[in-house]
Amino acid sequence: MAPRIQSRSVSNTLLPYLTSTSSSSSTTSVPSLFSTPSQCLSRQFSATAAPQTKLRRQMFEWLSTEGAALKHHIPGETNYLTRLKQRGGSDGPDSRRPFPNNQNFISEPILSEELRNEVYNRVVTKGQSVRVVSVDLGIDMQRIAAVVRLVELEQRQRKQGKPLALPYARAIHEMVPTTPLAEQGERQQFHEPINDLPAHPLTGTQIFYPVPESRSFTRVEAGRVFSAAPAMEHSEAGAISHPSDLAEKIIENPNATGWVGKGDNRRQILQPADVRIPHPHLVSLERDRITNPKERLAVADAHAKRLERQDAAEKRRRERAAARREQMQTIVSPEESRFDYRIKDTVYTAETTGKDGRAPWAIGRRYGVPHRDRTRGEVKIPTRVDA
Amino acid sequence: MVLRIRLARFGNKHNPFFNIVVAQARSARGAKPLEVIGTYNPIPKRPTNLYEENANARPYKEIALDRSRAKYWLGVGAQPSDPVWKLMSMAGLVAPKPTTFDKA
Amino acid sequence: MRNRASNTLSKGKIRQSWSKYNLYNLQRFRSPPTTNRTFFQQKWSAKAVSRAYHGEQVREGQWKRMFNHRIRSVIPMNASDLAADDGSLASAGRGSGLETKDGDATYQNRRIPYTHMAFAPLERRLDVAIFRALFASSARQARQFVIHGAVTVNGQKMRHPSYLLNPGDLFQVEPDRVMFATGTPKDKAERREGRLAQRKPEGEEESKEAEEEKVEEESKETPKEDTKETLKALMQQAKSIMSSGKDTLPAKRKQELRGFQKAVRRVLSRSASSTVLTDSLEAQFSELTLLLNAKRAEKKPEKKDEKKDKRRSDDDAVASKGDEDVEVSSKLSEAFEQAAQGNDVDASELDDEEFDTLKRALVQMRDNPIDNTKPYATPWRPRDYMSAFTFIPRYLEVNQNICAAVYLRHPVARPGSAEVPTPFGESVATPAYGWYLRRRW
Repeated sequence: MAPRIQSRSVSNTLLPYLTSTSSSSSTTSVPSLFSTPSQCLSRQFSATAAPQTKLRRQMFEWLSTEGAALKHHIPGETNYLTRLKQRGGSDGPDSRRPFPNNQNFISEPILSEELRNEVYNRVVTKGQSVRVVSVDLGIDMQRIAAVVRLVELEQRQRKQGKPLALPYARAIHEMVPTTPLAEQGERQQFHEPINDLPAHPLTGTQIFYPVPESRSFTRVEAGRVFSAAPAMEHSEAGAISHPSDLAEKIIENPNATGWVGKGDNRRQILQPADVRIPHPHLVSLERDRITNPKERLAVADAHAKRLERQDAAEKRRRERAAARREQMQTIVSPEESRFDYRIKDTVYTAETTGKDGRAPWAIGRRYGVPHRDRTRGEVKIPTRVDA
Repeated sequence: MVLRIRLARFGNKHNPFFNIVVAQARSARGAKPLEVIGTYNPIPKRPTNLYEENANARPYKEIALDRSRAKYWLGVGAQPSDPVWKLMSMAGLVAPKPTTFDKA
Repeated sequence: MRNRASNTLSKGKIRQSWSKYNLYNLQRFRSPPTTNRTFFQQKWSAKAVSRAYHGEQVREGQWKRMFNHRIRSVIPMNASDLAADDGSLASAGRGSGLETKDGDATYQNRRIPYTHMAFAPLERRLDVAIFRALFASSARQARQFVIHGAVTVNGQKMRHPSYLLNPGDLFQVEPDRVMFATGTPKDKAERREGRLAQRKPEGEEESKEAEEEKVEEESKETPKEDTKETLKALMQQAKSIMSSGKDTLPAKRKQELRGFQKAVRRVLSRSASSTVLTDSLEAQFSELTLLLNAKRAEKKPEKKDEKKDKRRSDDDAVASKGDEDVEVSSKLSEAFEQAAQGNDVDASELDDEEFDTLKRALVQMRDNPIDNTKPYATPWRPRDYMSAFTFIPRYLEVNQNICAAVYLRHPVARPGSAEVPTPFGESVATPAYGWYLRRRW
């Protein structure tokens, strides 16, 4: 498949018919607003008509007049088509929209190089937790993890002397809006909203659920209604003064969310937003602030302690999972072999293989079941690559 | 009749994959065995070069094995074939098979 | 697969491409008319128009299998709002919430543009993600990169453009390919140079050596007075390199760069410490920066005075600015001369800005060298009309230096914005989504 989108071949074929200004053969021409499109047709000694369609002529005319503003980027500014379309001021929210017809897509800022390095320093050098860095700089936690990975990879590649695309990187950072790193003493500009609540499919339904007016119906109860779980006991409901009380309990022990349904229909009860957002501890902090508006230091202290506790719990959980994984697997590296052997412990019983040994979830290839690996609609390429 | 612990080839052309099975010695390779006790993927996988610690790591092959069933079948006299013997000796279930060189 | 993704003007379809034809089509695109057309016709044309942009390389059947009517969305939550209200306010009264004085001010009433997300599953594809990360100038080119083995996913080569990225996957394209895709293409003369260089690399080396010899001879011949001139010229060249933007002709720019390179070499050849003409740019660079750094370190304590001096001079000598410039550069050149002779330099005579300019010029020369063997025009420049298409959606985190990106999560809609980049407005997105809602297969 040849790369079709190359202006090179196009401008070459046009060269006899166009002046250098309108051919836009990037390497020899100067962008100029003064060239007249009629020059394109000035082939005085030729009898044959120029093979230019009307549209083509119009295009080159547009490119040499209005479109010339888009030819080169303006460092530190976006240069989108929308800017041309709205005649007046170039600045404003509209200058961030790449597509004139689409009101709902804006070009979001990217992390500047300094901010990226700052994130890496805080996480790797200073050893701050991802959660803390995320709240401080207003960057999503997944993004922070990605930045750390990428900066590490970059450092390694620099060390190995692999080729880098530095001029390209500089050009992109000039074209796209960026979130700069705050100067010393200034407030860091937040990069993106960090407490996004994903809309759960269960909440898509409309449910008619009568509640006595005298009863307070909170988010916790709404979640139970959506997942068709029975209402809580009065004593249980009374213990929860605010939905964020649940959050801490669930962070300590994720299995504390109740379950409904049996067999294949078994599912977790839908939790309130206070539990499902990425930074539930911020809600607790706000609540502390509301209850003790005057004791700032004490609130901050309690918050730091809470964070520490939650981090420790999460760390413990992760370590336990890693240990379990480790236990399941032994790695043997024989001297005479070129390979390592990873031996995984499995259990072959009626539960894991099915009564007839043909259960679809059984480990290993199965007998007496037709192969579906070539049937239509099956995904035949890898679905994941392990890192 | 002899019971054997042996490999049964699955997978496609140029893409072998083995079940480790317990079967009667005279039964066909593709026939239904008495029991499947594990799998063996002979295609080596390469650790990704994304991490520093993987820089000098060797490629690895994956084995899955039910140790308790393997012990049981060995205890009742099932004989591992040579390739399975090699795999089981790495898992520590049997002593490595002495080579002819060692015997001499 | 045959490539039908032409940017014809007569059809006026918008593609995932940075071509100027596409830009023109994008500029003159009008949403299909809806008056006097049946709902079916509206949906049909909306679908046709949006499929020409979204995954035209994907067969219709394949896409229909990927389509999902359920659209991911998120609501940004405010922690203080959550803390202030446990949700009972919304269900109080008769179940529709207590009426507040400000009306619905507490709740966001910006709509979530769900239908703009109809083609979100396609953004998971590897080739589309490479295009979105600005590593290729079109989705077709991205596809080619994948097929030709220039792309790795999580450090392993991936040759399937239709690989669906999972959240957390890291993909990387060879930097040279990216520079080729996004850089200005070579012109005729440059291509010829490249061909010649390829044909007889030995001859090239010889000529290089000859050139070096010439330089050496020059340096031997030039009397001591000329060194000053050279250094002055060096500074000026550095300045012009940094200042010249898009207005200068590329050819002229190249000449300037070559001249600068030569001048640097000449300086280096004269410095006592340098091991005669260092061949590689890297070595040259480190040599020169070493000289500069040494002087800088000495200068630091005097920095403040110097700045004051400068301010004063700025105040009284706005009119004679040109003279001052000359003076400064001559100072620099003197210092350079001294450095070249291996003496210690009285650095207080030097200007900070001068250093910066020279340093930046050197860095640029190292990072963006002239190299005929590259498939793009060197020194690298972004291709024309590129800036009109450059944006990086939020679901990707890109490191341009190594041309790697992480697919963070699936694209989502949020109040007022959708993360799937689509050039079409509501009047196209909604009927197109409607088309796929109904199962016709």
